[in-house]
Amino acid sequence: MIQLFVFREKLRSFYGKYDAFITPVIRFAAGFLTFHLINGNLGYRTSLNSVVVELALALVCCLLPYGVMAFLAGMMILAHLSSASLEMTVVMLVFLLLILILYYSFQPEDSYLLLLTPILFHFRIPYVLPLLLGLSGGLASVVPVCCGTALFYMLQYMKQNAGLMPNDGSVELVQRYLQIVKSLLSNRLMLVMMATCAMGILVVYLIRRLSVSYAWGIAIIAGALTQLGCVFFGDFLFDVSVPMGELLLGLFVSILAAAVYHFMMLAVDYSRTEYVQFEDDDYYYYVKAVPKIAVSAPDVKVQRIGRKNSRPAENAER
Amino acid sequence: MINEDKLKLMTSIALFEKREGRHLKAARNYFRSDYISRCLLRSFIGYTLCWLMVAALSIVCRAEDFLAILSLAEMESYITEYAAGYLIGLAVYMILTLIVSYKQYSHSARVMRIYLARLKRLEKRYEFQQRVKELSKEGKRS
Repeated sequence: MIQLFVFREKLRSFYGKYDAFITPVIRFAAGFLTFHLINGNLGYRTSLNSVVVELALALVCCLLPYGVMAFLAGMMILAHLSSASLEMTVVMLVFLLLILILYYSFQPEDSYLLLLTPILFHFRIPYVLPLLLGLSGGLASVVPVCCGTALFYMLQYMKQNAGLMPNDGSVELVQRYLQIVKSLLSNRLMLVMMATCAMGILVVYLIRRLSVSYAWGIAIIAGALTQLGCVFFGDFLFDVSVPMGELLLGLFVSILAAAVYHFMMLAVDYSRTEYVQFEDDDYYYYVKAVPKIAVSAPDVKVQRIGRKNSRPAENAER
Repeated sequence: MINEDKLKLMTSIALFEKREGRHLKAARNYFRSDYISRCLLRSFIGYTLCWLMVAALSIVCRAEDFLAILSLAEMESYITEYAAGYLIGLAVYMILTLIVSYKQYSHSARVMRIYLARLKRLEKRYEFQQRVKELSKEGKRS
């Protein structure tokens, strides 16, 4: 266990030392992954469908805030969709503008969640986000996660149907819009997953703020069980199908990721908890103090003593 | 010669400004009422724009229903439905904006107080150093 704490301290000092390089590299990787996934899944506009474009956009993003990456990703999605179906482009544009105007005017710093949610859904581990956000963020993060979930299912629908959508006027324009909007709004899996993420964040957030020992650990387990319950409930009530193996594996990975986050951010020793009680003019204070586990990284310096210097002396003796 | 105390203080102020600079803007540039009014106005315009987009999409989707309108009363019922949707949504969004902007301003004012207190400490440090210099000069003359 001590080795793990030492490793954590080393990791922290490494990040503190090379922060200026690590952050742009992470941004570059996130940008490249985002644009690569968009191209891989939509890819209707051939001029954008190249690694050079992805690398160039990721390079731009690595020096700018996540908001710019979200904006460029949105533009890329619209550009791809415009090559396949005008109606889908309009619907997607309206959806993105709604998010932009109604939510991101308040919380522009949350734009990374809009990108991260579809990416995690793509890798079949969406359950990790509610656990991490419940531990680290506030309740407001429910909105971008739900928007990201909706975005993922919209993209999935558009990927599956853009090629099938007739553009030649054989079906009336009104019918095409109606078909898209109805399909999107009646996607039960999307609604169930949105509810699952929202409930997960809510439960983790509420439990980790409780003044009980092991609150974070309990919150992680409770959040994972809540998400499992929500998916089962959705399966039972709305007849949505989520593969069982995928669900359990996703939840296991999520719990593991949340446990790593817990270890990195809040390692405390509950066995040494102290309760203090005092008062001032206005209040009585009942304080519960939980000590952090602090292990300093060993600073080992190896000093070689006099091997080079001893040789001439030895020669002189001979 | 480098004054270590002052350097530490300035570094902590610079770090604080870097971390919380975003939150300082509201209290630095606006009075509370002006900030909240500005947020409400922005929300009103934003919500109206969004409602117009959604209404346009909805009208396209329900075009067949609209084309089948035969009487004024039917038309009135559609208009009432859309207007009610707009007003209820607007009221909810405005209340949310009011709560969020009030909290944002309160947080900003709190951050501003801390920032000003640190600046004041730095200023006192400068004054102290200046006074020491003056006194040492006077001492040399005499």
